[in-house]
Amino acid sequence: MPKTKIPAVIATFILCMAFWVLITWNFSSQELLAGAVVSLAAALFSARFMIHGKAFWLLNPAKLFGLIYYVLIVFPVELVKANVDMAKRCFGGCKNINPGIVKVPVDLQSEYGQAMLANSITLTPGTITMEVTEEDDQTYYYVHWIDVSAPSGKEAGDAIKGALEKGVRRVFE
Amino acid sequence: MIMQELLICGVALAMLGIITLYRCAKGPSAADRAVAADSADILISCAMVLFSLYSGRGVYLDIAIISAMLGILDTMLVGRYLEGRL
Amino acid sequence: MAIRIVIDILMVVGLVFCLAGVKGLIKMPDTFSRMQASTCISTLGAIGVLLGGLLYAIFVMGSASTAVKIVVIALMIIVTNPIGAHSIAKGAYKAGVRPEKPMEVDDYGRDFND
Repeated sequence: MPKTKIPAVIATFILCMAFWVLITWNFSSQELLAGAVVSLAAALFSARFMIHGKAFWLLNPAKLFGLIYYVLIVFPVELVKANVDMAKRCFGGCKNINPGIVKVPVDLQSEYGQAMLANSITLTPGTITMEVTEEDDQTYYYVHWIDVSAPSGKEAGDAIKGALEKGVRRVFE
Repeated sequence: MIMQELLICGVALAMLGIITLYRCAKGPSAADRAVAADSADILISCAMVLFSLYSGRGVYLDIAIISAMLGILDTMLVGRYLEGRL
Repeated sequence: MAIRIVIDILMVVGLVFCLAGVKGLIKMPDTFSRMQASTCISTLGAIGVLLGGLLYAIFVMGSASTAVKIVVIALMIIVTNPIGAHSIAKGAYKAGVRPEKPMEVDDYGRDFND
């Protein structure tokens, strides 16, 4: 079991406290004190699962800008495109599908980046990440795809996650 | 300004949630049932938010938060069970 | 009045995508395709409806706590949904659920041969 580090506890405490304030939206001193106690307890228990590397990497302005750009521009564009495509298939009688599971290579080193890319792929309708494996220093995703237009390998990877992977790489590398 | 559209849209969402329960009752495998229940959960959460805005009572919003937060648990539990690692 | 039109458009867009997702969930031929269709509900369907509600809470009700709670609900749905979808897709495949018409490309079954 990894050891608990002080910066990780502080970062998790800030996250929990922000969540408490957002949910209660009450700024009297008693509420804030109760929230601080509960957040500190939660942070002490869960910091070692939440944060493995550096705790305050997001304070780097280039990475912060990259994250905001990804969340507000890159990802919604892909999401809307995939949603419109899926809605067309659904309203068109659900016959125009060709499902299959493809294996695509991913060139990301950081594990947070891999998790974020896998969740983004799952969140776009039409693709679901089923497994993440590693062979010979190369990470592979197994992706269930509703309309297989290219067999496994590079082309399928570009079609599934071309823009998303570029956006994620700006944040995490 | 009280908008009737909130109520209409909320009722439509709740009806979609009820239609989803058909797959939950019929579905051939357990995964179908879990996915349908998750979708119904999300639809009912959205309907509850709209009804809270229409009637001006904050209680429904809190219930919607809890429902949206705990909806993950049943899905993950069924998934882990099917995978055989529970 | 302009804000009312914007809210209506957002809600109608959300409802259309929710309807598409529900139709796919009922009509699609196999389990994994139904999962894909249900993602439509939890992304653009929920976001459209909740964005309409958020604009209503900000510009018509003028209540900050309501707006913040709606943002929290949208964040929760967006962050937690892919984890459940991934878990249940993997679980269904491991439990032996296969489409009636065999998939043309199935690398997962080829590499893990089960």
